[in-house]
Amino acid sequence: MHIEKAVIISNSEVAHQIWEMKFEAPMIAKASKGAGEFINILAMENWQNPLRRPMSIASSDGTTLSIIYKIFGEVTTILSNKRPGDYIEILGPLGNTFSHWQNDHHPILVGGGVGLAPILNLQHECKSAGVDHSIIIGARSANEHFIDHEPDRKIYLTTDDGTAGESGTVMGPLERLVADNTKPYIYACGPEPMLVAIREFSLAQNIPAQLSVESYMGCGVGLCQGCVIPRQNGEIQHHSYHQKYSLVCLDGPVYEAEDIQFV
Amino acid sequence: MSDLKLTMGNIEFDNPIWVASGTFGYGTEAPELVDVNRLGAIVTKSITRQPREGNPPPRIVETPSGMINSIGLANIGVERYIKEMLPIYESLTTKIIMNIAGTDIQEYIEILEMVESVSSVIAGYEINISCPNVKKGGMEFGVDCDMTAKLTDALRSRTDRLIIMKLSPNVSDIVSIGQASQDAGADAVSAINTVVGMSISAKTGTSDIYTTYGGLSGPAIKPVGLAAVHKLYQKLNIPIIGIGGIVNGQDVAEYMLAGAQAVQVGTANFRNPGISEDILSQLETFISESKWPSANDMVGQVKTHS
Repeated sequence: MHIEKAVIISNSEVAHQIWEMKFEAPMIAKASKGAGEFINILAMENWQNPLRRPMSIASSDGTTLSIIYKIFGEVTTILSNKRPGDYIEILGPLGNTFSHWQNDHHPILVGGGVGLAPILNLQHECKSAGVDHSIIIGARSANEHFIDHEPDRKIYLTTDDGTAGESGTVMGPLERLVADNTKPYIYACGPEPMLVAIREFSLAQNIPAQLSVESYMGCGVGLCQGCVIPRQNGEIQHHSYHQKYSLVCLDGPVYEAEDIQFV
Repeated sequence: MSDLKLTMGNIEFDNPIWVASGTFGYGTEAPELVDVNRLGAIVTKSITRQPREGNPPPRIVETPSGMINSIGLANIGVERYIKEMLPIYESLTTKIIMNIAGTDIQEYIEILEMVESVSSVIAGYEINISCPNVKKGGMEFGVDCDMTAKLTDALRSRTDRLIIMKLSPNVSDIVSIGQASQDAGADAVSAINTVVGMSISAKTGTSDIYTTYGGLSGPAIKPVGLAAVHKLYQKLNIPIIGIGGIVNGQDVAEYMLAGAQAVQVGTANFRNPGISEDILSQLETFISESKWPSANDMVGQVKTHS
């Protein structure tokens, strides 16, 4: 775990309101253990926004890292105004990683919105390891996509309004791919309704699934105890600590679907 | 380098930069990012008689120049604290202050007696009589002079270690609670705990915190903390530990001028767990460039207009 001043290499809008930033962060990049991990970003030095913003690592090559972020408010707007050569201060790498499939599994990677970031990182790991895999990317509309719909290469896009790829949610192609593969293994990150649907589907079908969840964080390192998610069947303990709730920053952000529940 | 040492009760602290309860875990969470032995003291997270899971999420939200939390005293409980944490503290040279929270006087006594019954390097206790986030919590103590006096007295008679009462700003008269603590034998008071606050998202029409209200902290509350410390300093003759929105050495100087002998860094730890080391260096620089011979000489020396 390091705090590092990272030099921005590139920062550009890759789709409507969706940005990709790449920066040099050799200490953190070197310490990174794999897809799923996140960093905690300080966009500005003043204290109007005291807290860092946690963001999944979208790529890592040993000296550089990248993130994908959506313009939401003040802090992400400030991030989007950064130019190559500017600095951001980052803390990381934080959290756990996706754990890998066994040899005969077919990984189905599912990313929704900016939840695509750790999924692209995992896709890179699949490619590097020469693992046959599929990827499904969901968005509301075509202008939020920055990857092409190429079913021949097992890249499936969906849009809520039908303007790109398949019309509807990621569940359409996911259900088909699960039916077509003998040993599917789902990896997903995205908005909560998407994760809820995937979790229910994977439990009903008895398919292994790992979900990277989002949580509001204070510190990212376990100090504030703010970023909890309820564990599945966690209520049994009367007087307990971290039996009912899990800390997303330390235990997560990646969980087996069966281990957590959404409120 | 200026002398930053200070004495409270019979304990000598290397410097006045402490870290606040609930913002630094048990002191062992981020060893790569902070050398805890450079801190004057670590005030560990509130410990209750039984372990506690804490409140359902959402527990935190950022607000302008601050944040609201409602963790609900999630902690490992006193038994695990004694078994797992106390041995670790043996090897630290920084002072450890154990923060205690209870729902009635008996519970505070029980926790303190359990810790007193074993050998440890703990320098003292900070008594949380002011957590706003727990139903049936310490708040009733923190708003009532008689209850505060009774609790202070009960704990005073059971330990020779430091007793620090942590005061709430959510009261009509913080000075009278401080006075009650002093009269009942407290060695010091710390002020302030978080300020009750609420955050609402207009777009969704919902409250941002599960428990609706939470505790506001960060630079947003520094003026509230400064006023509380200054008021307490006028009436009390025991040391005051200033808390609320400290992010740099200048903030520490302001609290000292208001009357604080030491300070606790809180919310800023969430942004950078090693920030207290930076704040310490900044304070040293501030003093060496100022007219003050030492940190202690600044205490309470603010010039007011009346």
